[in-house]
Amino acid sequence: MPFFAGDIFISDVYKHPVLDQTGEEIGKLKDITVGLGDPFPAVTTLVAVAGKQTFLISWDQVNLFNKRVISANVLRKDLQSSDPAPADILIYRDLLDKQIVDINGAKLVRVNDLRLGDVNGKMCLVAVDIGLRGFLRRLGLEVRGESFLSLFRYRLPNTLIGWHYLQPVEPKLSRLTLTISRQKASKMHPADLAEIISEVSQKERTVIFGTLDVETAAEALHELEPSVQADIIDDMSKEKASDILEQMPPDEAADVLGDLPENKAKELIGLMEKEDADEVQELLEHEEDTAGGLMTTEFLAFPPDMTVEDAIRELRLEAPDVETVYYLYILDDQERLLGVVTLKDLILARPETMIKDIMRSPVKTLSVEAEQNDVAEFISKYNLLAAPVVDENMVMRGIVTVDDVVDFLLPPASRKRRRKM
Amino acid sequence: MKLFERVKNTIVNNRFLVVLSVIGPGFIAGNAGNDAGGIATYSIVGAREGYGLLWALILITFALAVIQEMSSRMGVVTGKGFGDLVREQFGIRVTLAIMALFVFANLTVLIAEFAGIAASMELFGVHKHISVPISAFVVWLVVVKGNFKQVERFLIAISLIYLTYVFSGIMSNPPWKEVARQIMVPHIRLDKDYLLLFITMVGTTITPYMQFYLQSAVVDKGIRVEEYRYAKFDVYAGSFMTVFIAFFIVLSTGTILHPAGVIVDSAEHAAQALQPLAGDFASHLFAVGLLNASFLAAFVLPLATAYGLSEAFGWESGINKTFREAPQFLGFYTGFIVIGAGVILLPNAPLIKIMYLSQTINGMLLPVVLVIMLRLINDASIMGEYVNSKRMNVVAWFTVAVMIVLTVMLLVTSFVYTF
Repeated sequence: MPFFAGDIFISDVYKHPVLDQTGEEIGKLKDITVGLGDPFPAVTTLVAVAGKQTFLISWDQVNLFNKRVISANVLRKDLQSSDPAPADILIYRDLLDKQIVDINGAKLVRVNDLRLGDVNGKMCLVAVDIGLRGFLRRLGLEVRGESFLSLFRYRLPNTLIGWHYLQPVEPKLSRLTLTISRQKASKMHPADLAEIISEVSQKERTVIFGTLDVETAAEALHELEPSVQADIIDDMSKEKASDILEQMPPDEAADVLGDLPENKAKELIGLMEKEDADEVQELLEHEEDTAGGLMTTEFLAFPPDMTVEDAIRELRLEAPDVETVYYLYILDDQERLLGVVTLKDLILARPETMIKDIMRSPVKTLSVEAEQNDVAEFISKYNLLAAPVVDENMVMRGIVTVDDVVDFLLPPASRKRRRKM
Repeated sequence: MKLFERVKNTIVNNRFLVVLSVIGPGFIAGNAGNDAGGIATYSIVGAREGYGLLWALILITFALAVIQEMSSRMGVVTGKGFGDLVREQFGIRVTLAIMALFVFANLTVLIAEFAGIAASMELFGVHKHISVPISAFVVWLVVVKGNFKQVERFLIAISLIYLTYVFSGIMSNPPWKEVARQIMVPHIRLDKDYLLLFITMVGTTITPYMQFYLQSAVVDKGIRVEEYRYAKFDVYAGSFMTVFIAFFIVLSTGTILHPAGVIVDSAEHAAQALQPLAGDFASHLFAVGLLNASFLAAFVLPLATAYGLSEAFGWESGINKTFREAPQFLGFYTGFIVIGAGVILLPNAPLIKIMYLSQTINGMLLPVVLVIMLRLINDASIMGEYVNSKRMNVVAWFTVAVMIVLTVMLLVTSFVYTF
């Protein structure tokens, strides 16, 4: 089993001597062949060149593989010169400097370097480097470039695209295609999707979003920074944008719309279905960082005069449309908040019991104008998953769920880092 | 309905129309070679040597056609620009070196074009503070707002304005027999002035930006392999037109200025010198010609640079693209025009130094580009069955070898002048 440490860029080992077990030089590393494994192609052989001779060294025979030493458990004199098969994929020849295009064929950037890494104990091609850092590394200027740029307080970032976001390759291809295809993207977790989307440029993001179905797009959008969300929505066709906004919880949709220019936002609201549009419109009227701005208008509202059995049946019908099902709010006919029933209360109660007999009252409430820090503190203090928001007449306006304020509750270091370009 | 079908079939099958639809990149690239520097050189050649160097134009036509044809063929067959191929086949270091020279060379040539615009408009009494910003803005606007087809038609239309030089040539009423005799039986001298003029003439007519532009434009236009023979016609027509115009420039100054013993050192000087000898009209024709030549090259140079850079670094490019779709391409296009025009507006810009510098850098770049071009075009993994034939290779290597020798000689002389 070859011993290799961490991640290696091909330009770090290119033209480095490959040694045999006695320390004699076999040749200089000229290329590396990979097999087409999924999701990452594993290294199969090293191609070393000495003069006009080409030696193929199977990965199993490689002993050490790192920036300083490459050695194999073979003897120089036992090796036969041979060329790679025509169908082999040689990563230096076939992938480096190639064009990367998105699924629509639009050119994005070229491959500056290739990164090899450990995947389940196998050395695999894990990512392509498309950034300035890879560019400088190819020129042998990575360290100097980094220290030069640090004079301007610029940190030289690694800009990589994971291999799994690229479509499979064939030998001698002319371009690499990003696979943010519908199928693959839909299977990804929205948070992962958000990660690649935030790593690509604005233009690509729009293209990528264009290929997602409305629900996946809404979820992925949810994971991004609001200003990035607004950029993406702004770039999309109005019809698609309004469809995606309809799919989002009203409070999220309102956040996105709040970051758009006013007339654009109005236009999009106009294209949304009346019911969704009204909810978003109402939320937009509240200050963004108050309970009114944070809340969603989708919650479970029940009348007091209902049996537990009926309530559970009703809950089944309504649950798909609301963000949180743990609290049932009991409202009178004026929509004033009378009490709350937790899901646990409901399940444990006898079916014929009336709701008003098991509800907890009075309920701790937030006013529409409450500051977001107070909202966070309130939710944390009473250990709630959601807090009801009421106006001055105790009329229920919405709920703030814990995920909307969790960023304020965590200590700064462990806060979820929202991705931003 | 039948009539409609027939009309449609006639149009589709009309070869002439196919030719017209493919014509463009080669025609424009060739004519852009007759830029401000080219016009100046031909004016000087005519004034100094009369018809004594006309024979060289035949050699230039031939060399231009051979080299441009290879560029066009590479674009049609691979669907990639020269920048793309260099990056993919020669790696990052070679690409970076070539692009650095290319960008710098083009910038200096572009400055010379805006200087040409300023000088020609000043002959009409328009100050450079007005003519340069306006022309720069037009150059920018047409490409940024127009689509490929519109821009191409616009540039072809500009190329046709070169015909003013044909008028001036014929108007000068040259002794045609003498002209023919000098071409057939050239009196070649080997003194320094004669050789230097010869070398400069070849050097200004064949410059790397023409090959970069041609190949990228062929790709941007999306010419298919099946249409290649028409593209070839485009290239040959362009090469012929280029030298045809050059011929009449040399003819004009050779007929009017040379016998009078007027020595000129620039294109605007030639236009001025024509006025007392041949009248206002001839002088104005020359000024318009210079303006037009500078204007066309002021389009082609930033385009060639933006194409080349985008290809080398893999950015989206194309005249049809918007700023949002191809920000780097249009960004470099814009930045280039701003710098090129900006330098001219600086007081005391060292224009003569810049001109020699531009010759020096282009002279360094051209041999590299030509050798790389020959290597690429003979690589079967890129060109497939469209690699050079043996005969073509003999012709091409010979042309390239002659070009390299001449360029190196030019390089040495302009290097001496630069430093």
